[in-house]
Amino acid sequence: MIRFKSRAAVVASVISVAALTIATSVVASSSSSAAGVPSWCGPKKITMGFTDGFGGNSWRLVTTAAVREEVKLCPSVTKLYYADGQGKTDKAISDIKGMVAKGVKALVVFPDAGQAMLPALRSAYKAGVVTVPYRVWAGGTAGKDYNLFVGSDFVLAGKLWGEWIKKNLPNGGNILRISGPAGNSQGADESKGLAQVLGNDPKYKFIGADPFEVTGWDPGKTQEVLTAAIAKYPNIDVITSDFGPSMVSALQAAVSSGWKVPAIATSDGNVLGCFYQDNKATQPNFKMMTISTQNDHSRLATDWAIALATGGKTPKEKAYPSTLFEDSVSGKPSAVQCRKDLPGDVYLSAKMSGDAQAKLKTN
Amino acid sequence: MSSTQVREVKRSARLQISRGMKTVLAGTIILYIASALLAPTSVSKVAQMGMLPFAACLAIVGLGQTLVIQQGGIDLSVAGAVSLTVVIVTWGPDRHDNRLIPAVIAAFAAAIITGFINGALITKTKLNSIVATLGVNSLLYGVMMALSGGSPRRTTERLSHFTNDKIFGLPHSIYFGIICAIVVTILVKRTVIGRRFEAVGANPRAALATGLKVGRYQVGAYVMAQILYCIAGVVLGGVISQPTAYQGDDYVLPSVAIVVLGGTSLLGGRGFPAASALAALFLKQLDMFVLSLGVPYGVRTLVISISLMVGIALYAVNWRSIRSKVGVKTKEERQLQAA
Repeated sequence: MIRFKSRAAVVASVISVAALTIATSVVASSSSSAAGVPSWCGPKKITMGFTDGFGGNSWRLVTTAAVREEVKLCPSVTKLYYADGQGKTDKAISDIKGMVAKGVKALVVFPDAGQAMLPALRSAYKAGVVTVPYRVWAGGTAGKDYNLFVGSDFVLAGKLWGEWIKKNLPNGGNILRISGPAGNSQGADESKGLAQVLGNDPKYKFIGADPFEVTGWDPGKTQEVLTAAIAKYPNIDVITSDFGPSMVSALQAAVSSGWKVPAIATSDGNVLGCFYQDNKATQPNFKMMTISTQNDHSRLATDWAIALATGGKTPKEKAYPSTLFEDSVSGKPSAVQCRKDLPGDVYLSAKMSGDAQAKLKTN
Repeated sequence: MSSTQVREVKRSARLQISRGMKTVLAGTIILYIASALLAPTSVSKVAQMGMLPFAACLAIVGLGQTLVIQQGGIDLSVAGAVSLTVVIVTWGPDRHDNRLIPAVIAAFAAAIITGFINGALITKTKLNSIVATLGVNSLLYGVMMALSGGSPRRTTERLSHFTNDKIFGLPHSIYFGIICAIVVTILVKRTVIGRRFEAVGANPRAALATGLKVGRYQVGAYVMAQILYCIAGVVLGGVISQPTAYQGDDYVLPSVAIVVLGGTSLLGGRGFPAASALAALFLKQLDMFVLSLGVPYGVRTLVISISLMVGIALYAVNWRSIRSKVGVKTKEERQLQAA
């Protein structure tokens, strides 16, 4: 019995150490290529950290891979550490603290939890780490709580949807808006943009929760929320969503119950493009436009962090632009794309090719 | 009292519907009536077809949790177990149908190993079940991250058909929930092993004294629980076309809540698997009802928490002592006093 006890304890501890090591994976970046070093890469040698509030979906996988690609371009970065907050605010905070303790000189943070992340960002910044939060607004002031916030113009994303809706549904309609966690700044800004274009026109009516239906960008929750909304509102003319692929299982379930897919204004993803191609023949009201899902937003934040920490030239843009990607009606800039030979969870709007994304596996 | 009477009493006790089942059944019926009156869309076909597969998954997870709680434990490795299964059955085949069955077999193998690790940690090293299963949960997430890098792939066509095709208008996933509930109920309530399993949960020392192999039943609970989580994970992987790596996170608290709602005591002993499964339907319909009411997100969360608290208070609060403190007496007490 005692032997078993100690053996079990040894096995358990070895396994937990291994698990911990895996959870915070360490990736060494290559420092071989000296030629063609980008201007944002300065001479000072640094180690760097990237912390994700939630890393558990393919969008984050591609986004994180984009950071890795960018870091590889700069030989001054000798090591890149990555940590995944797994959607838990406390873990995301301790990940940042862990990075500071490791002695990183630059830190890019995806602060999913928003303002709750501000104290951790501030403590990293005060400890002398170049701290660059991006995409989700965590409050605070640049130069006081962190070096710089690299946002994206989500109001513009909302406006792009709004303009498309106005053009393609000129007679008005009911618009259902869905986004991620409650109170996330991205969803709020998109709703603002939509309201700026359509808010004063009585023909367009926003239905469902205000400013958006909360789904946490989780496909399971999206399915529950969307089916409840579909049941509640018999006339939905447009659905807007900032994570299009997460809607597909819900849409499929609703279609199999005989529901007619309305127009959709969202962000791109191969699974969604293929869903459109599979259903366009039988769904007369199904028009779709997507804006780029912005996997490359993390590249801009990375460039900024590296430039500031290594003494390189800082990039011109402080915010990543929202751009149109697909439009099933006009076919411009692109018709709806579907690559059946690739997994559903690749993003064809990203800089990294779909084939390269399909090969991504581990952090 | 004649012997025939004694036998009759015994038989009726066996067929008795538990208090938990009565409460959950009444609660579910009232909830459906309220849904039909106040938010009729929440009982529409589209809403029910969207909700029921998730209720089935929660029910299967809850059945596993019931078994563990019957042994006086609590299993926090639900999240890791469900997530790992979802990842294995989607990332493993990576869209190739011919690799689905090996992936499902691998998922079950992983589940059985996990069950034994949980069981061994708790019975042999006498670790507290919360600590042990929480540790194993991290381990499962570690394995999942090592395998897939935190990114499951899209569900294969075959898995999607396996869970979403319909028989008599209902998707297979719902039948999986019902079948699991029936099988676990029969195992626990109608077999010798099941009755012994309850006896071990109620009082391990007494069970040991009667010669039962207590450790086996306790380890068995964790292994069976993992197998059930694995079934739930396979079904969930099929229901959601593009799952995330943390799909199991939403199941930890609800799985414990439905066990308590179903009337199984957290102290162990008698368990009510069918009531737990029905409580899963109650909880998911409650979600759908509150969603359909169209109240803000904050209010929605509050309504669900309060309903859960009321449900749990039905069992957890010692109403008799409260009544006696307040001065309200039961019929029996009044009779006693009069005598």
